[in-house]
Amino acid sequence: MVEPVLDVQDLSVEYEAGAGTFHALTGVSVRLDPGRVVGIVGETGSGKSTLAHAIPRLLPEPPARIVSGKISFRGVDVLDLPKWKLPLLRGTGIGMIFQEPINSLNPAYRIFDQVAEAVAVRKLRDAGESPTLFPAPEPHDYSKGMVVKSGEALLHPIATKLPGRRRRARREALMQDVLDYLRLVRINDPETILDLYPHELSGGMRQRIMIAMALSAKPSLLIADEPTSALDITIQAQVLTLMKELMEEVQTSILFISHDLGIIAEMADEVGVLYAGHLVEFGPVEEVFANPRHPYTKLLLRSVPAQYKDDGPLPALSGSVPSLANVPPGCPFHPRCPLMRDACKTNPGPLLEPVKGISARTHLSACYYSDEVARKA
Amino acid sequence: MGRNKSDLIVFVGKRLLQLLPVVLGVIVITFFFTHVAVQNPCAVWAGAHATADQVQACILRFGLNRPLTDQFWRYLTTLLSGDWGANPRGGVPVLLSISSAFPATLELVLASLFIMTVIGIPLGVVAANGAGRWADHLVRVFYLSGWATPTYLGAVVLAIAVGPAIGLPTKGDFTTKPPFYGPTHMSVLDALWALDFPAVGDALLHLVLPASALALLNLGIATRMTRTSMLEVLPLDFVKTARMKGLSDFVVLYKHALRNSLISTVTILGITAGVLLSGTVVIETIFQWPGIGAYAYDAITGYNFPGTIAVVIVFAVAVVISNLLSDVLYGILDPRVEWR
Repeated sequence: MVEPVLDVQDLSVEYEAGAGTFHALTGVSVRLDPGRVVGIVGETGSGKSTLAHAIPRLLPEPPARIVSGKISFRGVDVLDLPKWKLPLLRGTGIGMIFQEPINSLNPAYRIFDQVAEAVAVRKLRDAGESPTLFPAPEPHDYSKGMVVKSGEALLHPIATKLPGRRRRARREALMQDVLDYLRLVRINDPETILDLYPHELSGGMRQRIMIAMALSAKPSLLIADEPTSALDITIQAQVLTLMKELMEEVQTSILFISHDLGIIAEMADEVGVLYAGHLVEFGPVEEVFANPRHPYTKLLLRSVPAQYKDDGPLPALSGSVPSLANVPPGCPFHPRCPLMRDACKTNPGPLLEPVKGISARTHLSACYYSDEVARKA
Repeated sequence: MGRNKSDLIVFVGKRLLQLLPVVLGVIVITFFFTHVAVQNPCAVWAGAHATADQVQACILRFGLNRPLTDQFWRYLTTLLSGDWGANPRGGVPVLLSISSAFPATLELVLASLFIMTVIGIPLGVVAANGAGRWADHLVRVFYLSGWATPTYLGAVVLAIAVGPAIGLPTKGDFTTKPPFYGPTHMSVLDALWALDFPAVGDALLHLVLPASALALLNLGIATRMTRTSMLEVLPLDFVKTARMKGLSDFVVLYKHALRNSLISTVTILGITAGVLLSGTVVIETIFQWPGIGAYAYDAITGYNFPGTIAVVIVFAVAVVISNLLSDVLYGILDPRVEWR
């Protein structure tokens, strides 16, 4: 069995707010093997972003509080790390792409400086100039053998010491890598944008730069938190195509967060479905989408317009997502569930057990009646 | 998009043109205030023991018997010809006094801006980073106590109690006036110019208490402004991006977040420069600093009308220029700003 890159076990996160306690995540477990893409899908307020932020310890504490659980990244217990060690986890360990490319680049610095900063973190750590949690050569690091389409090797020999703090020398030392990573994200003449500020670029361009920045640190795990949701539809398609191509070129593990089932189906190997902070179904993406075994997943898939065949009104999920301050007892989905029994009102249901009635042990569902879901609902 | 250097020149030029009406306005106001408020300044100018004839001669000499508008016109035309007038008592030319007093004040104000920047801004960052926790409360108590203390009280406490207790000088800019000629009239720069390093140290020590007294009062503004805008910037995605690059908390806070927070802090500091200038009147009198604040005090209490007007002109110009500087700095800090 392969050692997972990321192993989240039974993670529960709460927010303390004036109105009460919000249970953003309850007992979520996700496992991510090297080189795999795991998608997390869920509605607004299902806890997707909380999960994305909890893994690299990016949640503001307070108001957020990790109540229980374990996050293990490449064998390191993330929740056990002291605050000062967190930077070592990030960048070269875990990289992240955010939802809003408008806000995710610093408005006060030029593009070159922002990308170069990320490149420098990697170089200094590889060269042993700054401490690191994860030594450079490791089995599922894509740094070796990573090749751009043109055939040009992406990793330039690491300067043993970045030449001084002087601006010009620094710029020269990092220039080649910065240009390479910008070309990697299909920016054709990267020289022309180096000295521009983020506000002088389009949203799609900015998101490409974000991707370049995250990749230039060569993380073992890339978390993409709704990377295309804020882009308009044509740019969205371009960025998705780019990410899809990059997944083949750079063998990194990706946790892909989205509310869009279609995008998850296209990008991910495995998918987890979040509902009101609970992971209700997890399994190989084709398997889950073709043969959903949790009533919520099944109803969610049925309400996708693209699947709609002109026979009556588009079915929508009745009711609404419960407030995280007030998650129903028992199974969180029971008030909206067509299969609901009395037991569901008090019994929280299994914490993801292998789906009944099929042989695939990797398809997990949090419903006691997963075998019935296939037939009814 | 992008900005041109020429836009900046036009911007600065326009703002400097605005100086003209401002200066004319303050001249008018100050002139009529002084000349109307004081009924017979010659009673003072001619001296306490002057005879009635001597007072009468003084009135004729300064033209005080003529209509106020005539007097104003005469003052304005001489001013435009470059003559700032002289102290009616003793005849020391105003320009001579101002040109040595203003640099001394500028030195004091710059020193206190320096203290506000290197102490006030980091305190704001510390407070924002630990918002709601003990560091935040501690910082708030510190700057509020400085803020709530009246300038004269704080300065007197520093001059009478703190200074002697820790052995810092509380009077003037040098222990003994050094023999060198100062081209800048700023004690530290003059001493550096003369390569007299013991004097540089002496001048710096003399600067500590008055500059601290001036800074302490306004430190809170820098701290509070920095804290507020840091709290706005810290939850933004680009701060998360910086964290996710694997940068240390220090770099994230001071390079990424503070850089964007400074934009509003700088604006406030520009406005504060005017407050600092008026603060010098009290501080310089208490610490016997040979600056324009002390000169202003003497000019007003001694019915030195040309001196008073000159001080007000200098203050007005200084306030406009410091606001202009903060606007330019604002544009340098925020590349999205266009010069208009």
